[in-house]
Amino acid sequence: MAYDYHRSGSLAEAFALAARDDSALIAGGTDLLVALRKKKRAAPARLVSIRSLPELTAIEAGPGLLRIGACAPLTEILAQPVVRERLPALAQALAVIGSRQIRNVATLGGNLCNASPGADSAPPLLVYDATVELAGTGGRRELPLSEFFLGPGRTALRPGEIMTAVCVPLPVPSAQSVFQRRSRVAMDLATASLAVNYELQGGVLKSVRLAAGAVAPTPLRLRAAESWLEGRAVNEETLAKAVELARGEIKPIDDLRGSAWYRSELIGVFLSRAFRNRKEGDA
Amino acid sequence: MNEFRFIGVDTARPDAPDKVSGRAQYIHDITLPGMLWGAIRFSDHAHARIRHIDTSEAEKLPGVEAVITAYNTPEVRIGFLRDNFALKRDKVRQFRDEIAAVAARDPETAREAAALIRVEYEPLPGVFSPEEALVEGAPLVHETDARGRARKDNIVPVRFAHHSGDLEAGKRASRHVVEGEYRVPLIQQSCMGTAGCIASFDARGNLTLVAKTQIPFLAQKDFNRALGALGLEGRNTRVVVPALGGGFGTGLDTHAYEYIAMLLAWRTGRPVKILYNREEEFAFLSPRQSASARIRQGCDENGRLTFREIEVVQDNGAYTSWGATFPSVMLVPATSLYRVQNVSFESKIVYTNNTYCQAMRGYGNPEITWPIESSIDELAELAGIDPFDMRLLNCNQPGETTPMGLKITTCGLKECLERTAASLDWKEKRGRQDAKRRGVGMAGVINVAGGGKIYRSDGSGIILKPDDYGNVNVSYGGVEMGQGLHSALALTVAEALGIRPENVIVNQTDTASCPWDVGTHASRGAFMACNAAVLAARKLKARLLEWAAEIYPQEVEEALARARRHSSFKEPDFDWRDAARRGQFELANGILTVTGAPELPELQVDFGRLLRAVHFRRQGPGTTFAEDAFYEPPTELPDWDKGIGNMSATYAFGAQGVEVEVDEETGEVKILRLVAVHDVGRVLNPQTLKGQIYGALAQGIGYAMYEQVLTDKGRVLNPGFTDYKLPTACEMGFPIDVQLVETNDPEGPFGAKGVGEPGLVPTAPAIANAIFDAIGVRIRDLPITPEKILLALRQRR
Repeated sequence: MAYDYHRSGSLAEAFALAARDDSALIAGGTDLLVALRKKKRAAPARLVSIRSLPELTAIEAGPGLLRIGACAPLTEILAQPVVRERLPALAQALAVIGSRQIRNVATLGGNLCNASPGADSAPPLLVYDATVELAGTGGRRELPLSEFFLGPGRTALRPGEIMTAVCVPLPVPSAQSVFQRRSRVAMDLATASLAVNYELQGGVLKSVRLAAGAVAPTPLRLRAAESWLEGRAVNEETLAKAVELARGEIKPIDDLRGSAWYRSELIGVFLSRAFRNRKEGDA
Repeated sequence: MNEFRFIGVDTARPDAPDKVSGRAQYIHDITLPGMLWGAIRFSDHAHARIRHIDTSEAEKLPGVEAVITAYNTPEVRIGFLRDNFALKRDKVRQFRDEIAAVAARDPETAREAAALIRVEYEPLPGVFSPEEALVEGAPLVHETDARGRARKDNIVPVRFAHHSGDLEAGKRASRHVVEGEYRVPLIQQSCMGTAGCIASFDARGNLTLVAKTQIPFLAQKDFNRALGALGLEGRNTRVVVPALGGGFGTGLDTHAYEYIAMLLAWRTGRPVKILYNREEEFAFLSPRQSASARIRQGCDENGRLTFREIEVVQDNGAYTSWGATFPSVMLVPATSLYRVQNVSFESKIVYTNNTYCQAMRGYGNPEITWPIESSIDELAELAGIDPFDMRLLNCNQPGETTPMGLKITTCGLKECLERTAASLDWKEKRGRQDAKRRGVGMAGVINVAGGGKIYRSDGSGIILKPDDYGNVNVSYGGVEMGQGLHSALALTVAEALGIRPENVIVNQTDTASCPWDVGTHASRGAFMACNAAVLAARKLKARLLEWAAEIYPQEVEEALARARRHSSFKEPDFDWRDAARRGQFELANGILTVTGAPELPELQVDFGRLLRAVHFRRQGPGTTFAEDAFYEPPTELPDWDKGIGNMSATYAFGAQGVEVEVDEETGEVKILRLVAVHDVGRVLNPQTLKGQIYGALAQGIGYAMYEQVLTDKGRVLNPGFTDYKLPTACEMGFPIDVQLVETNDPEGPFGAKGVGEPGLVPTAPAIANAIFDAIGVRIRDLPITPEKILLALRQRR
């Protein structure tokens, strides 16, 4: 296995090379190199590295918004106080992706563009209403993350397009969010995961966001369960109905990591626990 | 108080510095001049007739030196039933069947060429479980046996059984009886170092095989036989063992890939290396087999065991290796774990079109201790007796002879059980079933610990060869595969001979220079090696001390003469000449002196100086030394049909306990604490011994909770660590209390028993018993996954 390796000098050059059929973009390489070694994708003639382009690695905190360069390594994102303090579900998810060595090179954009149904960064970003910036020779556009995933390994990226950044609106301070997941052992792909973000105002739920991973062809928002919970008080009956709705929205499969039945059970447990354990919080 | 200078003292392993700094030479690191790389073309079907093999495209690929099949090479049969072949002709019986092989200039070219070989098949219906294979009229995996006689069914012709006492009388005497069916999965040994070998021939047709093996001498025998098939009768195989990155039983048999390397080397006249990558290791090497066991046990009104009845069915896979003989080891716990009369044991080994199976650490013991120790808890529950009390009541005792005829010499089981209970705070915690869903469980183990006689000789030879510089080179036929054998040997030789451990150099095995050994298995390595080492060291020491009468006075006089040149020197106030005349020599810590001598350098002769003085003698002919010894343990080759015979010189006992917390919503089990108390006879090196037990516990937990090779109609679905899960450091993040009980066995070297395997045997049932204590649910098939627990909880409601 041998490839030409080209370290891209500018974003413009990266756009040009990304459009070529004989090239593949590489950032951290933690998914790409495994796929190439296992022959799960066709070998390109050239790997184009975009990981050292400053435009793609910057992490900028603006008023009410965090803009994370698509090639920012996960450990650098985790090192941001704003991530740990304001986006706890994202911090919880990034902290369990692979090992520390993997997180040192793996990038947020890579985790999203690989479009694994179980991508751990996706559910928290979905519940924070994140958008992604996509750019190429044809220009720039912005897309809600919820419209980015099309299927396993399939995204809304057009040929030649590169994800340049992920923009995360910072939740209001009273919002609560949590990410839960289970895997067979540590450093394993998720069997199922769920991110939850909500506010509790006057005893009722507001701005409820639920997103699940590894239980459908893509990470997905559980909109029916969200709508049901919106404006309701947290109690066992409300949660039971939400669990039922959530289970109706997911499409889990049986695979080596777990059965569809068990995945569905886990989603129910995660959902209940996300609210049950916090309902006595700062209402 | 330690009566020894080195035995029992924490000592760094001699092989550790090279291993941790990357200097150790594993098979992966070795290349020979002119060496080619081999690659194997495996089957595309689990069961099919081979219609045609087209190797022309592979032969045309630049860099390819040879392409071989069963049709252009002599037939090489392998396995103790001779039912397997290096290369298959006519028919494939499993996905890993070797159809063709290539030798090429580099591994990439070899693999590419192997993929270019076209094979036409006629697929046949297969059988993928013992249940399917035992159905009347099921497809036959082998139509004939090795002698060409027609076979009628898929039962492998090996028999291990035991019937003692009066089973029906035992049943009648029972107040309580439990029955259950337990299952264990197919698992992989998961060595860090994958399999590989290099075969090369000299110009006279002698073979040198650098092999990742645990049985260098049985491999030599197998390969000499294969040389006969090449028309090289009378030629010899030299087996050279590199540093091994784990064996765990994978090296207990010879493998088709090794014979293929031999055939390719013979065909090309060049050394040929075959090295498996991780996926090949998973898909094409023999794992530990799956098995099911039906067990019935009874007790009287007091909890005393009345009978035990076990039937085992094992999935052998398509060919026969040592996995088929696991019941020989199952007999030990089946008949002898706790005192039980009236025992019945039957086993059935069944051919299927799954991957064929081989040895792994524990060799049948974990498979059978799983049902026995789970069933003991079930019986205690039914009888309303604390399972710890029931174990104590039925505990083995020193001096007893078990129904299998095992002569229990020393036995620390009672102390192991009691210490386990104490460490777990058993009486306080058991049976609580509080809101946190915590529970405690325990299980015991008996294991061969003084060899395991399965062959005409269970002995070990050793050679101790001092050099001129005070070092002793040790040549031993067993294999250091990561377990710490060389450390045990260094301490033993140093202690028994009277030198320092750093002056003991243990060489990795080479059949050309090491004496015969049956193989490193059955927890026998250190027990055998160190017993042989003690015998050889005694002989060597006796010879050296004979020479001391001449050398000691001569060297001391010379040293004193030198010392007298200094005005400050004072004559020693000790009659060393008298002590020497009376032969009161002592060799300890690398120093020869006489009894009672003051610690003056002039009265001490360094071990190296002694050796040189004998070698380069002043008057008369000098000599060098080497001494050998062969230790054969006092054991019997059992009658397998009857399941009777004292197969080991001593037996190891132990108990393990766990406290768990179960999440009843997700089915997850969290281990809070693990206790492992083992009767080890005597501790040789505490750190290597604890290392053995920690590693075994991780394997035991893997077996209990995570590991399983998943297959679909014979094809391995998870050939790699992405989907074959071993516990990581995170899963092992709980306190582990290892306690060592010293029973000082009279047959053991310094009292030591074999300790390689027992540490992983009782782990799974201890965990299952703790889960039952926590939530009242019993899981009977491994691994115990959260999903199985959740399902069982739902079914209970």
